[in-house]
Amino acid sequence: MTKLLATVTKELLLLRRDRGGLLVLFVMPAVLVLVITLVQENVLKTVGESETRILLVNSDDGELGELIERKLQDSGKLTVHKHIEEGDIDERQAAAAIARGDFQFCVVLPQGLTQAVRRKARQTVRESLSLAPETGEQPVAAPVIRIYFDPAVLGGYRSAVRNSLQLMVYGIEVNEKMVALEELLPKKISATLQKEMGDFMPEAFTLPPAEFQMDWSDSPLLAFEEAAASTGRDGPTPTSVQQNVPAWTLFGIFFIVLPLAGSLIKERRDGTFFRLLSMPVPIFTLIVGKIFAYVLVCLVQIIVIFCIGRFGLPLLGTPSLDMGPQLAAIVIVALSAVLAATGYGTMLGTVLRTYEQASVVGPISVVIAAALGGVMVPVYAMPTMMQKISVLSPLSWGLDAFLDLFVRGGNLQTVWPEIAALLSFFIANLAVARIYFLRRTQYKG
Amino acid sequence: MTADATEANDNSKRALEAKPPLTVMNLVKVYPKSSLPALQDLNLVVGNGEIYGLLGPNGAGKTTAISIMTAGLLPTEGRVEIYGLDVVRHRSRVKQLIGLVPQDIALYPDLTARENLSYFGKLYGLSGSELADRIAETLELVGLTGKADQVVKTYSGGMKRRVNLAAGILHTPRLVFLDEPTVGIDAQSRNLILEKLSSLKSSGTTMIYTTHYMEEAQQLCTRAAVMDEGRVIEEGPPASLIQKHPDCGNLGDLFLKLTGKNLRD
Repeated sequence: MTKLLATVTKELLLLRRDRGGLLVLFVMPAVLVLVITLVQENVLKTVGESETRILLVNSDDGELGELIERKLQDSGKLTVHKHIEEGDIDERQAAAAIARGDFQFCVVLPQGLTQAVRRKARQTVRESLSLAPETGEQPVAAPVIRIYFDPAVLGGYRSAVRNSLQLMVYGIEVNEKMVALEELLPKKISATLQKEMGDFMPEAFTLPPAEFQMDWSDSPLLAFEEAAASTGRDGPTPTSVQQNVPAWTLFGIFFIVLPLAGSLIKERRDGTFFRLLSMPVPIFTLIVGKIFAYVLVCLVQIIVIFCIGRFGLPLLGTPSLDMGPQLAAIVIVALSAVLAATGYGTMLGTVLRTYEQASVVGPISVVIAAALGGVMVPVYAMPTMMQKISVLSPLSWGLDAFLDLFVRGGNLQTVWPEIAALLSFFIANLAVARIYFLRRTQYKG
Repeated sequence: MTADATEANDNSKRALEAKPPLTVMNLVKVYPKSSLPALQDLNLVVGNGEIYGLLGPNGAGKTTAISIMTAGLLPTEGRVEIYGLDVVRHRSRVKQLIGLVPQDIALYPDLTARENLSYFGKLYGLSGSELADRIAETLELVGLTGKADQVVKTYSGGMKRRVNLAAGILHTPRLVFLDEPTVGIDAQSRNLILEKLSSLKSSGTTMIYTTHYMEEAQQLCTRAAVMDEGRVIEEGPPASLIQKHPDCGNLGDLFLKLTGKNLRD
């Protein structure tokens, strides 16, 4: 135990003095998480995958303006702002704010909207029932709701926004027409009866207003549902923070391969390893001590980056990292991923002969595994073929497990295949390292 | 420790000391993909308190022999015994008895001399005040007490060699393997190392010593073996070897006579 502790202490001391290594282990992933999350957060906003900030200029003083505002707020993905810098805004100021990119789009409700819609509805229904116009009634023009889009908002998302607003307006329209129909239908029936019955019609006869059930939205005539076209990674998609924080954390911990493999190669190159072999300590203790030290460093790395996601990123305007309630499962996934990374580093440090080889093979293989594993582009956004290949990457196993826990409501039971894969990867790498180590001690001269 | 345990320990020590520190029997090493053996039928017996020189040009097999003797490499054939213990079968026990001063500066350059010695000492099972005392003693022995808390990478070549030696003798081994311990350093450092090796010899430590410096071997070794192409071509006390070859004035001349003047790469 003393020998193991001595090895762990020595490794931590060496790591503390390796400024380049610390930079790779802590600063690089932290900066990557910050930069990529902020960049992707903006991209997601332009395609509507992230919470969208919109501006509402409500010049209407009636119920419909309030109704539209409420529906926008209840949509879930929109944050509705009605003021800029503490003051009310007009259409011109709103257009300028959109042009600056402060908001993704703006909805302008004109003055007198409610009144105009109701008059128009009444007029339309009256015309459709062929009722005589009311005294002094002038034709009413349909009021216009204007939308301003940030130029960065992409076409597909613009269409989706337009269609949603159209649908909302259509609902209001149907409702207002029904209100008008409630009032005008009895008049039409009375007029028809008067015409057909002539003098038989009692003079004082009037029909009461029709009372329609107006909760149309609760009883749709047709429904639709979205179905998965293929089996695989379906379900909720993560926010940019939930995607990027675990993704770049895994990238960062897999970069441990460079200092770890480098330290093994340096020990061999400097002859220290030869000295260690002549000492009364099992090689197992030396390797476990080294791995243990690097595992500790990686765990600190994970805590730091998750804290950045939880507390740092929200200060820059992104959502906070939501890790879900499965803390124990998160720790086990993190530990498995760290072991997989250290196992890979140990294998590279044993198989490769020079530091130069490790400094090329290590980072390149990690970058490839990261790209395949969905670190750079989420796996759900990859072509089907790449999605199939992505299952080969240990970073994909780690990321999938984290996303299961953070986004998809998973628990230890749902992520155990990924944990098993990561631990198997660790063991397989150590087995390869052992084979090469035995070969090398046979051959050493 | 009880009186019985102490007695058992002393008996075990005495039993070990009754055996020769190093016995090499018919040692052969053939590296894969190599047509020539690195060692061919090597036989040696080194007695207590001896400094045994292994002399030979580059590629003679000295480092291979030391690697096998220190359990860092498996032999193809033959066996090595340290105080009667087979190196392959009793690796762990053998490693407690030996010390190694490798040809390379086998230290962590980013650690101080004290931190290096502390780590290696703990691997040898030293701890607490015993470890602190041994570190202080060895640092004093190699003249680095004042610079002990400086990181090794800031040391001169000679200072690094001295720490390298300190790390090999920290745990007071009975048998020390020194593989070119003075290569590439200034005369002062070499002189200091040779002095310290002489004092180790007088304290009864047995040493196996490889060097290219024939004057060193002549000055230090009680016996020497001249090796070439993996085999011993001449063996004996330096003075006897020179006597045996009257045309050679010193060990250097003898070395050239036995191994030839061709360059070895």
